[in-house]
Amino acid sequence: MAPKAKKGANAQKSKGAEEEREEPLQAVVFADSFETRFAPFTLERPRCLLPLANTPLVEYTLEFLANAGVEEVILYCGNHTDQVEEYLKHSKWTRDTAPFSLEIIRSDARSVGDAMRDLDQKQLITGDFICVYGDVVANIQMEAALAAHRTRREKNKKAIMTMVLREAGDFHRTKSQNIRPVFVVDPATERCVHYEQMRPRETPRLDIAEEVLKEHVEVEVREDLIDCGIDICTPEVLAQYTDNFDWQVPRRGFLYGVLKDYETNQLTVHTHITSEGYAARVKNLLSYDAISKDVVSRWTYPLCPDVNMLSDQLYQLQKGNVYQEDGIVLARSSVINRKSVLGKATSVGSESVISNSIIGRRCVIGKRVKIDGAYIWDDARIGDDANIKKAIIANEASVGKKCHIQAGALISYGVSIAEGTTVTGSSRITRAKRQRRQSKDQTAEGPTNPKIVGEGGAGYEMEVDEDEDDLVETLLSGDIYNMRKLSLSADSISTLDSEDEDEDLEDSSKRRSSRSESFASIGSDESGDTRRKATDFHHEAAASIVDALQKNDDVNNIQLELQALKLASNAEDKQVRRAVAVALMKRIAGLVESGMAPKDAVAKTVPPNQLLITRCVTTDKEEYSEQVEFLLYMQTDLLHRQQGDKILLFACNTLAHKDLVEAEGFEQWWEDPRSSATDELQAVRKDTKQLVDVLVGDDDDDEDEDDDSE
Amino acid sequence: MPAPVVGQTPSLTTFLKSLKHSPIETSIELLISLLRRRQISHSRPCALATAHLLLRVVAAERLKPTTDSTVAALRLIERIRDVGRRLVAAQPREMAVGNIVRRVLGVVREVVEEQGDGGEESSGGGSEPMSPLAPAVPQDLRPRPRTPGDATPPNFDGPSDIAVNSRRPALASSTSYAGQGPQSTSLLSFLEHPLGRSPTATPSTPGTPSRKSTQDKQEKLDIKAEVIDGIKELLDELEVVDTQIAESALEHIHSGETILTHGSSQTVQKFLTTAARKRKFTVVHAEGWPNDHEATHATIVNGGGGTGIEDEKWKPLTSMGVTVILIPDTAIFALMSRINKVLISPHIVLANGSLLAAAGTSTIALAAQAHSVPVVVLAGVYKLSPVYPFDTQELIEYGDPSKVVGFEEGEFVEGVDVGNPVLDFVETETVGLFVTNLGGCARGYLYRVVADHYRGEDVDLSAAAAPNGKTVA
Repeated sequence: MAPKAKKGANAQKSKGAEEEREEPLQAVVFADSFETRFAPFTLERPRCLLPLANTPLVEYTLEFLANAGVEEVILYCGNHTDQVEEYLKHSKWTRDTAPFSLEIIRSDARSVGDAMRDLDQKQLITGDFICVYGDVVANIQMEAALAAHRTRREKNKKAIMTMVLREAGDFHRTKSQNIRPVFVVDPATERCVHYEQMRPRETPRLDIAEEVLKEHVEVEVREDLIDCGIDICTPEVLAQYTDNFDWQVPRRGFLYGVLKDYETNQLTVHTHITSEGYAARVKNLLSYDAISKDVVSRWTYPLCPDVNMLSDQLYQLQKGNVYQEDGIVLARSSVINRKSVLGKATSVGSESVISNSIIGRRCVIGKRVKIDGAYIWDDARIGDDANIKKAIIANEASVGKKCHIQAGALISYGVSIAEGTTVTGSSRITRAKRQRRQSKDQTAEGPTNPKIVGEGGAGYEMEVDEDEDDLVETLLSGDIYNMRKLSLSADSISTLDSEDEDEDLEDSSKRRSSRSESFASIGSDESGDTRRKATDFHHEAAASIVDALQKNDDVNNIQLELQALKLASNAEDKQVRRAVAVALMKRIAGLVESGMAPKDAVAKTVPPNQLLITRCVTTDKEEYSEQVEFLLYMQTDLLHRQQGDKILLFACNTLAHKDLVEAEGFEQWWEDPRSSATDELQAVRKDTKQLVDVLVGDDDDDEDEDDDSE
Repeated sequence: MPAPVVGQTPSLTTFLKSLKHSPIETSIELLISLLRRRQISHSRPCALATAHLLLRVVAAERLKPTTDSTVAALRLIERIRDVGRRLVAAQPREMAVGNIVRRVLGVVREVVEEQGDGGEESSGGGSEPMSPLAPAVPQDLRPRPRTPGDATPPNFDGPSDIAVNSRRPALASSTSYAGQGPQSTSLLSFLEHPLGRSPTATPSTPGTPSRKSTQDKQEKLDIKAEVIDGIKELLDELEVVDTQIAESALEHIHSGETILTHGSSQTVQKFLTTAARKRKFTVVHAEGWPNDHEATHATIVNGGGGTGIEDEKWKPLTSMGVTVILIPDTAIFALMSRINKVLISPHIVLANGSLLAAAGTSTIALAAQAHSVPVVVLAGVYKLSPVYPFDTQELIEYGDPSKVVGFEEGEFVEGVDVGNPVLDFVETETVGLFVTNLGGCARGYLYRVVADHYRGEDVDLSAAAAPNGKTVA
């Protein structure tokens, strides 16, 4: 070898030795986003394995991390852990030749916050790490961001996080359409000083603290950014999550909290705003559509289909951004227009026209079919003369002859649509039905609804869950009416919940307007806000109580935390009651699921924690409405839980025994129209009838005798 | 406080570094993923990475000492082909990878043939096992009058070969393609001066007389070591290729000329720098927007190099008294009438002389043709591919459209299909002369260079290896 090269080799060696002493770069991937925005597809498969341009989402994320030079990846799975593990076991990422070591963690975390706390406990993180979701598609160079983060860290140890954001101008298909994040940034230090999320149809209005404006000479209000969820974190971030048990999500929980506590902790969060490269998250169906288009149009270069990320892929780019794999059978008279992807061994019948569509492997497409802007996954069958607009048709689904699939329809795995059926744009058709509370991953076959899929089809319209209060997403952009309709229907399923929230809403707006007349004019905005806060509080409170119960914390501590949270979010007693009721029921249901008898579960949960109930449900007054409410909350929560009727019976029994709820309370509850509004509600309380009868009877008989009924 | 974290984007440098201490299979996978992700792109880095990797592959191959050398060679060939196939499949448009794989295969075959040659001379029994491979390069099918032992392409020849008198005619014949005026002399002169080559290239080239003295040793000739030496020579060639091309600069650039070039090629810059030492001329430099303009600007202002592992730094042309005029790509046709010569350094030269070069080259070549300005292509032999272009569309890599229109232009992204071809296909008719590290060569004689460097049986890497190596077309 030439001496020059030798010298170079020596130099490399010494440099390599130097770097070995440094910490390896770690990354945490949340394969589950703890949301249900991809229902019905996520009923059966984890989100990170959904195909984007025929490649599973997680491949893009891991490719990005490999690109950034990450050496250790910790992957958090939530739903469908088995499938994720199975997939990764056979992928190139777990082979010896993988660019990084991959550790899969099974966790029952319900949110990113839980996962972070878990991570802190496990002590897996040694240094700064990159934190991403399992649905990030990005090709940006992380070197600059990491370097900026590092120099900031050296100067100031309180700079705990750097968020990587991509500029995206005013209007952009890849930008989040429903919830628009607004970052207020000090351009001199790139510090994020304020963060808020805007909703559409809301007056854009920021609530920037006074100190922020005093302290910073110059602030930029940025609404033009794509928040791709790529954060460079220090271990301090984990500690913060642990300290603040109520933080659930990185933005609205963590970022919000850190910014709020700036005065006390002096911790800062910075931004790295890049105008080069691509970075986005497949957050919902809308962004699925947008990012699929970006991938096909090569904005994500080199992460395009013809890179063949999976080792068995063989896509080739043809004119007009058409990507084709081997073994495709195209009838001579078929037309493949621009921006289409066709997987291996797919066949297209004569006179069919395919444009702007992504079609998986081994699909069979009949004659004279028109497909425009659709996403058809592997092994789907499309009958002759079908007309498919911008819809998603999942694996092994079949669409009969002469079907019309309108834009926005979602057809899940294995669904079969009978001949000549028209599927409307708001349909979400699936065959799977979630088994409530048993185990999140298990699904069973749901009943077929011939009205939706036609005679001889298989599948039914997906039910929308009441506790999935995320906006139900649609594939179509700007279709706000559609979305609203759906979210309304979501409310209408559980009458009690929606009533309550409406009441909250009314109450609060009334209160406000009485307090100050000037608020009345913007009352509508405010009420939206309070309503959001109310749900926030409910979730936080319920989650934290369940957490504490699981850990067998001292009841006094739980009460203290609850009180603090109540004061912090200015919540009403009613909300506290609801939170307590829901949390207790959740805990009991959890125990029942793990195999405990309902009776024991109740005995284990309620009596030790009765302090919680006494604090929010008064019994000394002649006023039973609080007790009635508490029972109602319990009843509603148990609606969908396994053995809900049994739990309700034993819980009521215990409550009666401990005098937490008096006989009058039970009586009024039983007679309350809200407790028997639907068949489901009635079914749940059926078993309890006997008990109530006994209680009420007792009460009538004798007042001074101690009731020794069971 | 944890130590600062390293987050180094993988590149050729990190790849070569990791090559030293990671297992061979990991390295192969790493190079495949780097090629896929386009983190190693352009001909030279690809060629270097491939050659270094194959060096490791050959070194890591375990050949039992008792194994017959022919069997060993077959196994080596099989292994290299296999690795090569995977590398080529990772990014078929980087043809330099395939070229290097074919060259290394050629080295192995050559070693075997040399040995077979020697075996015949020494003992009759020794030739028997070689027979399966011997027909691989039958003399009658080889167009040049050589003994199989002389299959060594000129650039593989060590100085010791030149010392062997019997090889003279073969050498002369194999360089005949370069025989046009001054080029031929320049080529010969560089071959005769071992200084032109890498100083450490003192290979134990097969066929050295010392070998014949001990028959036993020659029987168990270490094929692996021979091949490794061959690959090292190849690496040396890659290192000096630009300097060698630059040696003929003075024959092409004359005082007072106006030269048009394009992009930030190191080859062209070295060529021009060498000429600038003696001549005064003007360079018109098209910027190569959108993929290459930043590098072009940097090259003009600061010189270049120093980024890669073996790149030398060089000073900007302006510091040597050359006038450099930077023009936008749109002005090429307007200025072409004043240009005396166009210098192009392509990514790949295909077997028929057509080029794959940075986008914009086709425009230049057509404009030059319209004005009858000669186009001189500077390309190392490693860029010369034995592949014929059948579907030119497939050869062109489409890059990141955000270099043309920013991704933040939401309405553009939504409503316009933006394409950004990285490469151009340049028809062979527009090229006047090729200057390789072996000297100048006209288009029509390119096939000779191809034939000298690649074996027919290696051209199609994806084809299954023929049994017993009997693949002779």
